[in-house]
Amino acid sequence: MPNSISPEKGCIVVLPMGKVPESALEVVSDHIPLYFNHRAIILSPFRIPPYAFDEQRGQYNAATIIKTLESLNFEEYAKVIAIANVDLFIPIFTHVMGEAQVGGKFALVSMYRLMKGGEGNRLSTSKILERLVKVALHELGHLFDVVHCADAKCIMHFSGNIQDIDHIMLNFCTYCERYLEESMKRLLKPPTLPSHHLELP
Amino acid sequence: MDEKLRIMVVDDEKIVRESLYHWFKREGHPAETAASGPEALEKLEKASFDVLFVDIKMPNMDGLEVLRRVKEGYPDTIVIIITAYGSVESAVEAMKFGAHDYLLKPFRPDQLALVIEKTVSQIKLTSRYRYVKGLLDKITRFDNIIGQSPPMRELFEIIPEVARSDSSILITGETGTGKELVAKAIHAKSLRSNGPFIAINCGALPDTLLESELFGHQKGAFTGADRARKGFLEVVSGGTLFLDEIGEISPKMQVDLLRVLEEKKITRIGEREPIEVDFRLIASTRRDLPAAISKGDFREDFFYRINVITLQISPLRKRREDIPLLAEHFLNKYSRETTKHVDRITPEAERLLKRHDWPGNVRELENALERAVVLSKKRTLGVEDFSCLNVPTAARHDARTLKEREKEYIQEILMENDWNVTRSAQILGINRVTLHKMIKRYCLQRGQ
Repeated sequence: MPNSISPEKGCIVVLPMGKVPESALEVVSDHIPLYFNHRAIILSPFRIPPYAFDEQRGQYNAATIIKTLESLNFEEYAKVIAIANVDLFIPIFTHVMGEAQVGGKFALVSMYRLMKGGEGNRLSTSKILERLVKVALHELGHLFDVVHCADAKCIMHFSGNIQDIDHIMLNFCTYCERYLEESMKRLLKPPTLPSHHLELP
Repeated sequence: MDEKLRIMVVDDEKIVRESLYHWFKREGHPAETAASGPEALEKLEKASFDVLFVDIKMPNMDGLEVLRRVKEGYPDTIVIIITAYGSVESAVEAMKFGAHDYLLKPFRPDQLALVIEKTVSQIKLTSRYRYVKGLLDKITRFDNIIGQSPPMRELFEIIPEVARSDSSILITGETGTGKELVAKAIHAKSLRSNGPFIAINCGALPDTLLESELFGHQKGAFTGADRARKGFLEVVSGGTLFLDEIGEISPKMQVDLLRVLEEKKITRIGEREPIEVDFRLIASTRRDLPAAISKGDFREDFFYRINVITLQISPLRKRREDIPLLAEHFLNKYSRETTKHVDRITPEAERLLKRHDWPGNVRELENALERAVVLSKKRTLGVEDFSCLNVPTAARHDARTLKEREKEYIQEILMENDWNVTRSAQILGINRVTLHKMIKRYCLQRGQ
């Protein structure tokens, strides 16, 4: 169990998966209370399960990693956002930068593709961290039941590529913010079954 | 994107179903999944979907077969094919069968977003098309009278013309053809439209009652007349009086009405002073009045008085091309009224409706649709929902020869298939050359 800090009930966990820069964990952890009204704690690194690696694709299966996290004991925490630094995919997509289920408990984001792109110039660390925070907050938004937003500037707008991530703002639009507040009140009322326990229709 | 689509993911691989399901959920689209083609078709039969994402390679029923069946049964549902093989052949084949788009697994997340965006545009276009079609439908509808056949189009053209005059009109047609609807339409288009429209079924009232209903009476004029009452001929002043089943009125009543039409005056029963009346008469009958005249059952002078203009409404069996249009109208009407989601009729059932002779005409068709919608447990009405029509009415009443029936059936199939000879020949089970010969033999022409 990846736990060196005593668990704090109801807080949001930032969980490093493999080697992730400390600054990345801290910047995500610092932003969480500003948007989600919950304390965030960083846990000790957790090893990416080797079976999540797909040799043919040379990528890690995000769904497998999330399933592994689901099997572990994180009951005391409200939500878990795992951060990795490897190339992620889900079987239907060539790659994903983050993965979360609406109303679920676990989200996974990767810095791997966030370090690429730019206009030929070397990307600054702050730019990479800004992108990481945007993707992490976006996926956390999903965990709090918020779906994709039509507002192209809203953090919940779907980003299909790096340019889209750079285009969105580090903010929820008025509607998503209101929806997020209501969802937080609703979802954090204990105890309810997490959505990943529900059968698919 | 604001529009939310009802999506179903059809794939035998659970991981694909789950991934897409959760992606659509994140997009805010209500989504469902099906692990096989038959399961998808079963779900489609119970609820409507805007888009189906169908994997091309599945056991039992492959994606192309699902696509074919969806396009056949639910042409409005958009199908997007997912293929892992990326073979151009299967993609081309899918597009040929009517797939809206295809995705090669694995695809980039933004490709899926783009496909969804294109689908939304397509749905918007379709709804615009429906709006325009709705406007066109108004051309095939006239004050709730529905039809696109030449006799109905002619009727739609003539109604505004005759509405402008104040002459008496006789509407002829079999029972259930919509004679009262035509009378109402004429009234609505006439200068009297602000006045009342009163309809009386002459066949349903005994002579004495009809007299008192039409002419009114003074208090004490007869037993039971405990107060004075205005008759409909007086009440309808400024408007239109519709006398349904005029062929059923007695010779005495014919004389009385003839006098009213000539003098524009009535005298209430039990009174002496005549009252001036001002109304337009529209009468209707399903009887052959000239034949009744020659038998002495109907007065000739009265006939000419009420028959200044004659409008004849064709029976439904003589305008079979109107049947699908009417069926769709009644299907929508009763689906709305019963709040049941029944929105389609199978091509086989439509063919059955078109073949039936409908002795009760539009009224019988309406009843059949109402009964089918009320009793149906599915979205689509099939032949089994119209089992009550299996009584071969045509065989009982039809005195046509085999050749006449053959001619009519060939004509019907050709019209159904927009005169596509190859397709029609396939349905008729003959080859194209034979069909061409038959078209020539029976002098069949497009638009006949």
